Amino acid sequence: MEYNEELVAAITKAVLQQINEQNVSQTDRQHIGSAKTSYANARLAEKSTNPKEVVVGVGPAFQREIKATITGIPLDDVLRNIKAGIEEEGMVPRIVKVLKTSDVDFMGLEAAKISGSGVGIGLQSKGTAVIHQKDLYPLSNLELFPQAPLISLEMYRAIGKNAAKYAKGEKVTPIETQNDPMVRAKYQVKAALMHIRETEQVDPKIPIIVWEEA
Amino acid sequence: MKRSKRIETLDKRPVNMDGFINEWPEMGFIAMKSPYDPNPSIRIENDQIMELDGKTRDQFDFIDQFIADYAIRKDRAIASMAMPSLDIARKIVDISVPRKEILQIVSGITPAKMAEVINELNVVELMMGMQKMRARRVPGNQAHITNLKDDPIQIAADAAEGALRGFSEEETTTAVARYAPFNALALLIGSQVGRRGVLTQCAVEEATELELGIRGLTTYAETVSVYGTEKVFVDGDDTPYSKAFLTAAYASRGLKVRFTSGSGSEVLMGYAEKKSMLYLECRCLYVTKGSGTQGIQNGSVSCIGVAASVPSGIREVMGENLVAALLGLECASSNDQSFSNSPMRRTARTMLQFMPGTDFIFSGYAAEPNYDNMFAGSNFDAEDFDDYNVMQRDMQVDGGLKPVKEEEVIAVRRKAGKAVQAVFKYLGLTEVTDEQVEAVTYAHGSKDTLKRDVVSDLMAAEDMMKRNITGVDIVKALAETGFRDVAESILNMLKQRVIGDYMHTAAILDENFNVMSGVNTPNDYMGPGTGYRVEGKRWEEIKAIPHIIDPNNF
Repeated sequence: MEYNEELVAAITKAVLQQINEQNVSQTDRQHIGSAKTSYANARLAEKSTNPKEVVVGVGPAFQREIKATITGIPLDDVLRNIKAGIEEEGMVPRIVKVLKTSDVDFMGLEAAKISGSGVGIGLQSKGTAVIHQKDLYPLSNLELFPQAPLISLEMYRAIGKNAAKYAKGEKVTPIETQNDPMVRAKYQVKAALMHIRETEQVDPKIPIIVWEEA
Repeated sequence: MKRSKRIETLDKRPVNMDGFINEWPEMGFIAMKSPYDPNPSIRIENDQIMELDGKTRDQFDFIDQFIADYAIRKDRAIASMAMPSLDIARKIVDISVPRKEILQIVSGITPAKMAEVINELNVVELMMGMQKMRARRVPGNQAHITNLKDDPIQIAADAAEGALRGFSEEETTTAVARYAPFNALALLIGSQVGRRGVLTQCAVEEATELELGIRGLTTYAETVSVYGTEKVFVDGDDTPYSKAFLTAAYASRGLKVRFTSGSGSEVLMGYAEKKSMLYLECRCLYVTKGSGTQGIQNGSVSCIGVAASVPSGIREVMGENLVAALLGLECASSNDQSFSNSPMRRTARTMLQFMPGTDFIFSGYAAEPNYDNMFAGSNFDAEDFDDYNVMQRDMQVDGGLKPVKEEEVIAVRRKAGKAVQAVFKYLGLTEVTDEQVEAVTYAHGSKDTLKRDVVSDLMAAEDMMKRNITGVDIVKALAETGFRDVAESILNMLKQRVIGDYMHTAAILDENFNVMSGVNTPNDYMGPGTGYRVEGKRWEEIKAIPHIIDPNNF
C-alpha cells in the first residue's frame, strides 16, 4: 500500500484545525461556512442547439466558497484542463454552475440536458467528476470518476477529451479506472465536510446559471 | 518542544492516518444520541397513527407517514410503547425470552423508541442480542467479485473460487457502468462452477439492475437504497413509495431482494437534520420493513468512514445491525468497506458481527485483492482469506468460509474461464482467448491478467441487451458447448423464481438448491446448549487449514 503520509497528515491537520476553530468560535454551529452567496441577479443558463458544445456543470460552491479540490488542486487549473481537453477535440466548452443540486450525477445530467451535443460533465468542488448524456438515467453515466483524491490534472484534461469524443459520436475508450482501497479511511470525513459546504450553497429556485461568459 | 520518541512512534502508527472528528450534532456527526433526536411517542385514533415521535400527522414528512401507515403494528403499539425501553433492552439479552416474543414486542414500537432501546445496550449486549435475533439459524457470508478491468474471465474465475470457499452470495459491480451485462453474465456462470446454488447480483443503477434481474442474468438484488431524511430521498429523485414499487417489481418476477441503508449517508449528503446516525438509520429500517422487502444490507456500508470518525461509532454500526434483526429483517451486516489504515482496528470492527454471527457477516468480503475491489475497497480482501480461516478455527466460530486446496482453486478457475469463453463464442460476443483464460486461472488479481479490447466489449455488451439475451440463452449456450452441469445449475437458479421459496427472509440455497431461510430454518438460540453450534462435518472443514505441522515429519 502506497500513500503520502505527509499529505495525509497535512489534510488531517487542516480539517482538525477547521473543526477546532468551529468549536472555539461557536458563533454558528449550524453552518460550516459563513453567509451564503446570493446568485439572485445571475443569468440563468439556457439550452443551446450548438452540436459542437460540451457543457461543464460545476458545483454550487465552485471557485467561491471552495477554491481547491480535496487534495488541494486549484479549481481554476481543473477547469482550465477540462476546457483544454474539450478544445483539443475541436469542440466548444461552456461552463455553467448548477445550484439545483450538489449530487454529481444530477449535476452532470443537468449540464447534459442544456448541452447542444447532449453531452455534459458534472464537476463537484471537491473534484469528483462524471461524464453524462442527456438520455441516460440520472444515476447512470458514460464515465464516472468517484475517487476525487486520485484525479490528476492530466486526468481532468482526458475527461474533457473523452466528453468531446462522445459528443462527436466517436467510439471512446474509457479512461483507465483508478482505485485506492484506502481512500475512504483517508478522506471520507474531509469529503463529508466539503460536501456539506457545497450543499449549503444549493438553491433550487435558481437551478442553473451562466458561470463563464463564452 | 523536544519530541518524545514514544509519542513520535505512536504518531506514525496506521491508526493515526484515520479520520476522527468530535461530536457535532448540528451537522449530524453524532453516533447514538443527538440532543435533537425526538422523544418516543405514539397516538392512534380510528386505527390511524395520528402522532409519531413528537410529530402530529399534519407535521409528518413522507418518511414519517410511510412508517406510520406501514411499519408499526397498531394492535401492539399501545402495549409495547408502555413498556420501559430498559425492560425491552433486558429482554433482548435475556436468554429465557425467545426471539419470537421480542419480535412481537418490537413490532409495536416507534423509531425513536427503538433508538432508546439500543442506547441501553453495550457492545457485548448488542452481540448477545444478535446471536439470538439473527433470522437464519446458520450464519452466512457474501463476497464482492470485481476487478479494475471489468474482465469477465476474471469475474467468472474469482466467483468460482469464492463459491468454492463458501460464500452463499456474490455481488459484482462495474468500473465502467456499461460493462454491467457482461459482469452479471460472468458472475452467474462462475458462481455455479464453484458451488451450485450460490446467489448472484450486479450492483448498478436501479433500472439497469432491475432489467438484469428480470432477464435472469442475476438471481437477487441489493442496491435499493433508502435514507433517513426526506431531503436525501428527494435529492435522489425518490420516495419510500417508489422504493416499495421497485420491491414489488422484483417480487413480481420472483426475485429475492433486499434494501441498502446505513448510517452516515445523510451526513455525507449534507442533510442529517441534526439527528443521530442511529435514529436516522432506524427510520431507514422502518421504511424497509414497511415496504415489505425481506431484508437489508446495513451497518454504515459505504459511509463507514463517517460513522467510524465519531465516538461510539463502531458500537452504533453494530446497533443498527441489531435493529434490522429486531425488526425481523435479514441482515447483511456490511464489513464491506475499508475504513481504517489500522489492521487491528479493522479486525476489531468485524468481530462484532463475526462472533455472534449474522445472516451475512460481510456484504461483502472482497474475494479479490483490494486494488481490484470496485466498491473502493472492502474491510477484508482475498489476502486475508487464511487469517479469516484461522480466526474461525481459533474461536470455533462459523464465519461462512472454509480452507481450500490449491489444485481445487486452479481447477474451478479454469473451468469458469472456459465456460465464459464458450458462452461468449456461442452468443457471438467478444473473443476470449485461451491465453486470457490461462492467465486468469493462475492470477491473483488484474495485474496478472491480459488486456481486453474495452471498446469491443462495451459494444458487445450493449448488443447483448439489444438482442434480448436472457438467462435461458445462457443455459442453452452452456448446454450446447459441453458445460451441461453448469447449464443445469443455472436452470435450477431460474426455477427458484417460479418456486418463490427463496424470497423468504434470509434465504440461501445449499448445493442441492434447497432453501435455508429464517422461515424453514429459524434461529432457535436460547442460551448454552441451544441454537447453532459449530460441530460435526462443518467443524472438521474449519479445522483443516493448510500449513499444519505434521508430527510424522520429525
